[in-house]
Amino acid sequence: MRRTFVLPASVAVLLALLAVPASLQERSASSSKGGVGDIVGPYEVPDPKWPAWAHPYPKPGYIWGSQGGVFAESPNRIYLANRGELKLPDTVPPNFPGNWGFFNQQAATVPIANMVNCIVIVDGEGRLIEAWNQWDHLFEWGRGPHQIYISPYDPERHVWVVDDMRHVIFKFTHDGKRLVQTIGILDEFGDNDDLTRLRRPTMIDWLPDGTFFVADGYGNTRVVKYDKDGKPLLKWGTRGTGPGQFNTPHGIAVGGSPPRVFVSDRGNRRIQVFDVNGRFLDEWPGIAPHSMMMSADEHVWAVDSITDRIVKFDLTGNVEFSFGQFGTRPGYTWAMHQISADQAGNLFIAEVFGGRTQKYRPKPGANPAHLVRGRSLMPMAGSTGN
Amino acid sequence: MTVRLVLLLIAALPAVLPAQARPNFSGTWKHASSVPANYPGSNGWGIPSPTIVITQSASELAIESGQFGKQPMKVVFRLDGKDNIWEAPSASQSGNTAIVKWRTKASWDGSRLVLYTWNTALNQMRDIMSLSGNTLTIVRATEQPGPSTNATLTYTKAP
Repeated sequence: MRRTFVLPASVAVLLALLAVPASLQERSASSSKGGVGDIVGPYEVPDPKWPAWAHPYPKPGYIWGSQGGVFAESPNRIYLANRGELKLPDTVPPNFPGNWGFFNQQAATVPIANMVNCIVIVDGEGRLIEAWNQWDHLFEWGRGPHQIYISPYDPERHVWVVDDMRHVIFKFTHDGKRLVQTIGILDEFGDNDDLTRLRRPTMIDWLPDGTFFVADGYGNTRVVKYDKDGKPLLKWGTRGTGPGQFNTPHGIAVGGSPPRVFVSDRGNRRIQVFDVNGRFLDEWPGIAPHSMMMSADEHVWAVDSITDRIVKFDLTGNVEFSFGQFGTRPGYTWAMHQISADQAGNLFIAEVFGGRTQKYRPKPGANPAHLVRGRSLMPMAGSTGN
Repeated sequence: MTVRLVLLLIAALPAVLPAQARPNFSGTWKHASSVPANYPGSNGWGIPSPTIVITQSASELAIESGQFGKQPMKVVFRLDGKDNIWEAPSASQSGNTAIVKWRTKASWDGSRLVLYTWNTALNQMRDIMSLSGNTLTIVRATEQPGPSTNATLTYTKAP
């Protein structure tokens, strides 16, 4: 009995001794100070004098407001979903770095924003490639785009934008020239049993055959399943705290074999797991994610709204790794709302309250298991690039 | 001739019936119900006013009430299905005032009137109004940043 105890304990001590230097090395390479825990994990912020990356483009006296979403199609094509621009105070301190969170007064979602530059595309250096100003009017009566995606299984790479306050999901062509589909009815919200209308949808994810699932959301507290053409098939969930019930289902991720639907039940501080027809399978308590992401290595990455930590789960709910810390300085975050990783390993984090999107790149020698790995996209029809 | 007359009446029925089924909500109404404990949400949007005054004509419906339950405000809905848009100073619950753009829209659903109100301060409201004698029922759904809210409000007509 004693022998069987001592051997695992000695192994554990040995493992701990081996692990400490790596951990210390990661923290010492971080440019962030203060706080507790591992601030940027296996990453570093390329330019600590943010906002050198993704510098905003508003007119003088204004600044980007809440950043709802980010999606990295490639290392040099990153979509940013911006919830409008905010008027700056008449005077700002000389050390103002350019992000609303610097003021530390109120979240970037609170002031009334001008809905311009809501969808822009930048390269890896943050330089503007495209501004889809032709669609700014779509967001005027809401609070701007909630999140933005490209389905990993779509060879045409349509761009999907969720607008919670206008109760719809927009599907654009890849070049942004056409709005090809609107899921839900603009400005009309339905009740829980209404499959035509949504009520404050928040997030979307796909199966390989194009079937998709919508977290719907603040209002209807349900999940709606659609076929690849956008026809609603079924819904599940009501308001409540029991299995299969929700309080603000805010994030959704689909993956595994057989495929499962992972739903961030934010208001109930848990993740719930379902099969693709809404049968309840499991719940993971103790986390209230704004958003979730299925990674290429089939893990659920969740961004916790309470702790501002990024947490890696295996598909049975075991926590494998986490990092992150609330704050407004480079590397810290204030209300991560969507994360995305490109094929080069860079991680992008959009902050709704901090009012910025940050780029993180892997530290040299970073543990690959600690990096967020974005799902590969299907090659675009008619091209060989990614 | 009689058959032709009957056919004419039948053909005219759809046009006549909805008009007959549409009530007039005009009057002064006193709030007579309680609201759910979690109502009206995070920023006070949608608090029912103790008294509302409704004026309805063939072309519009106006509701005078208290924004956030207190400050007087008149909201006008066009009854031709088109948007009504205007700008006005709007006070938050904390007392700050800003110029806010408002939009309203109304549509009939049988004898029920569905009213939508939006503003650029991120508030939305859907009121479904129905009338039964001297009782006005408003099924209210509100949206603002944060959770949505629902409530059924009952008003009685003031003498």
